Amino acid sequence: MREERGRTILSARDVHKHYGEFCALGGVSFQISEGEFVSIIGPNGAGKTTLINVLTGLLKPNQGKVFFKDREITGIGPEKLSKLGLARSFQLVNIFPNFSVLEFLMVAIVSRLNKGKNFFSSLLRDSKVTGEALEVAQLFGLDEKKDVLTKNLPQGDKKMLDVASAFALHPEVILLDEPTSGVSTSDKNRIMETLVSASKKIGIKSIIQVEHDMDIVFSYSDRIIALHQGKILADGAPKTIEKDEEVVCTVLGQKECFKIFSSISDRKS
Amino acid sequence: MRTWREITSRGNFRIWGLALAGLFLLGLPFWASQFVSYLMLTFFAYAITVIGFNLLFGFTGLLSFGHALFMAAGAYTAAFLTSKFSVLSMEIILVVAVIVSSILAALIGAICVRYIKIYFAMLTLAFGMLFYTFLLKFYYLTGGDEGMRVLRPSLLGFNLSEIPKMQFLTGSYYLYSFVVLAILAFLMWKIVSSPFGLCLRAIRDNPEKAEYLGVSVKRYRWYAFVISGAYAAVGGALLAPAIGQVDPGLTYWTHSGTLVFMTLLGGFENFFGPLIGGIVYIFLQDKVMSLTTYWRFIFGGILAFIVVVAPGGIAGVIGSFVKRRKN
Amino acid sequence: MIETILNILFSGVFNASTLFLVAAGLQVVFGVQKVFNLACGSFYALGAYVGITVVKGVVAGGFPTPLFIVPLIAAGLLLGFIGPIFERGLIKFVYDRDETFQLLLTFAIVMMIEDVIKFIWGTSPQTMGGIDLVYGQLNVLGATIPVYNLIVIVCSLVIAGLMGYILLNTRFGKIIRATADKREMSEALGIHMTWVYVKVFTLGTILGTLGGALVIPAGAAVSEMGVELIVLAFAVVVIGGLGSMKGAFVGALAVGVLKSIAISTYPELEMLTIYIIVIVVLVIKPQGIFGGSRV
Repeated sequence: MREERGRTILSARDVHKHYGEFCALGGVSFQISEGEFVSIIGPNGAGKTTLINVLTGLLKPNQGKVFFKDREITGIGPEKLSKLGLARSFQLVNIFPNFSVLEFLMVAIVSRLNKGKNFFSSLLRDSKVTGEALEVAQLFGLDEKKDVLTKNLPQGDKKMLDVASAFALHPEVILLDEPTSGVSTSDKNRIMETLVSASKKIGIKSIIQVEHDMDIVFSYSDRIIALHQGKILADGAPKTIEKDEEVVCTVLGQKECFKIFSSISDRKS
Repeated sequence: MRTWREITSRGNFRIWGLALAGLFLLGLPFWASQFVSYLMLTFFAYAITVIGFNLLFGFTGLLSFGHALFMAAGAYTAAFLTSKFSVLSMEIILVVAVIVSSILAALIGAICVRYIKIYFAMLTLAFGMLFYTFLLKFYYLTGGDEGMRVLRPSLLGFNLSEIPKMQFLTGSYYLYSFVVLAILAFLMWKIVSSPFGLCLRAIRDNPEKAEYLGVSVKRYRWYAFVISGAYAAVGGALLAPAIGQVDPGLTYWTHSGTLVFMTLLGGFENFFGPLIGGIVYIFLQDKVMSLTTYWRFIFGGILAFIVVVAPGGIAGVIGSFVKRRKN
Repeated sequence: MIETILNILFSGVFNASTLFLVAAGLQVVFGVQKVFNLACGSFYALGAYVGITVVKGVVAGGFPTPLFIVPLIAAGLLLGFIGPIFERGLIKFVYDRDETFQLLLTFAIVMMIEDVIKFIWGTSPQTMGGIDLVYGQLNVLGATIPVYNLIVIVCSLVIAGLMGYILLNTRFGKIIRATADKREMSEALGIHMTWVYVKVFTLGTILGTLGGALVIPAGAAVSEMGVELIVLAFAVVVIGGLGSMKGAFVGALAVGVLKSIAISTYPELEMLTIYIIVIVVLVIKPQGIFGGSRV
């Protein structure tokens, strides 16, 4: 998707995380550069969510470090992280149920513009904040519903809003945890297009997503990292990964694998 | 240019309603009995307190069961300054009350805001009772369970000690308190409609998400705590000269419960709810007390009713009524 | 010297015994229903007042005085069966609501019971007129302790043991522990939650009323006793850990003995010390000694 590659913006170095006996991450290392769209794939239980939680400073790993723009961010917590320029969205929708769409986005903008300590200025008359909130709403197709309460939105819109609020932080890197899960297939592409164009407009440098839908993964990613049982199985461009039988079989399961590879070998013969 | 039609339209209904209420309250001492005016005076003091309390409860989602501590702090400040230090200027009393409570709230809040829900309620209850024990036991300082007297303060430099007590309370002091309430209520309105207010509501609705959006959850809770403590202190300082005597009971946990009751009764989800709750509580309590000594039973029943049936309080009931009429 | 220490210890353990009963009632209800029942102190007060009335009435009717403890315990136990009235009549409506609303509902109950007590028994303190001394006193190494107090301590230990047995070995106890841990799981496993809630709340109420009944012969009943006790009970569960029975035991001992020490050394600082310790515990280890992980 992007042609300009820059310097390393996010890196994980030898990250280990266990829960008692269970090893969720067993030595994960990778570097992500500016301009990359990376998808993290893997079967359930492979450690994807744990990895995201460690990358976003929510979980402290037992071993290893995470760096964001040369600055160590291991376990610093979500608040500091968002101020540094790294934001995330959630697999299970995380919302402010009683806020309107506009108010929801305004929280992110107020936080970003450091206006949280303005005790006496009027929020509604702050055209910068309300204006920006409206812009973000438009980017995500939610502007017509700007006054609807979040709890009354359909599930897909709630998800979009959750993601939109993360975008409203103008992060340099955004981590999306299954952005299209729970969404009908016909809507998935629309969502991905929205995400990509929004990140261009806002100026997000890198996108990292955890995704299960392989069509989406292969259509949009510059790079795929496949995770299995807490370790990196493969890390490379989509063209390379899709030929890697081991990866495809592990991630998709034997049945799919058999279909794909037997059809390839059928065509070959 | 706003036309008359626009000004009198539904949108400005609130402002008109407030103006009318304000005029009504201002004129009350002229046509109501001295006793009713006196009750209204106590309402002003409680109104300031519960507006501050609701910043913490309704807007930030933290239930403090020890908030009466700050009201007592303000009241005792008034008592100390007037009877022990002969400082009679109400303005100085209010300022010192705010300073004292802000320091207390800053310290106590720093400990309490790290916890939520039941633990927060329990911690604040503990601090409230700690203060109670302190006021009770250190009687050489505080007068113990007999409390301390509060002498009549001077308002804006005017020494009004010559006027008979009830006339003072229902006259100049009434007006003074009303003005303080109006100013502080306006200030709170600004706070609640500010970006800070938005962040507080975000913290109430989903602290985790708020944190992910870069909002300093603990720090903002702390700010809310200190502000609400300051408001309670002003309320207490205004109440003190009206009741003439302060005693440790002001910070007993059941008094904190009263503050919560008032807020809940009126409706905690609405800015004006606590005000409605305060007025209803005070006048209802007076009425019920004159009918029976078992007013606590009736009020307990009312509280139970609210919690189970109408958690939005009076404002909530009115709100849903209005909504139904719209549809 | 030794007598003083022993005196302090014995009165501390006596305090702890009744505190434990109330705290245990609080814990078991919190553990299962996640409701912090401020009214536990009120049930304690009711147990005390009813205890006085029953014993006075029974003795006046010719019942042998030395056996007063029998109707006392019976009264305490039976009174606890008003629990279901509160649980079904009020508490059940707020199970799925925010914790703060549950707390407020129990506060409403506190207010109502306080006035019920005033209505029935008036406002002046009530006592049993020293009937506990009927059992005499024991002399241990110079310290005197009323035999009645010893009986109460033994009763509490027996009940503590019973609670432990029930929790560990009976089906009901296992259900209590399971729902305290994972409510949804228990529901999914088909355990009929309504019935469990009623039984647990009744158990909690009985423990409270029994505690009040047992403590009253040695003291006086005042209408605020419920409201005052809640603060002590709360100190117990904070120190011991919210939701833990072991915590109720250890916490009660700690608070009971501390209270005793404070009373004999610096009486003015009695409650002060307790609150400070509560705050310190809440700050250092909010879960208490045996509490769970949620804070």
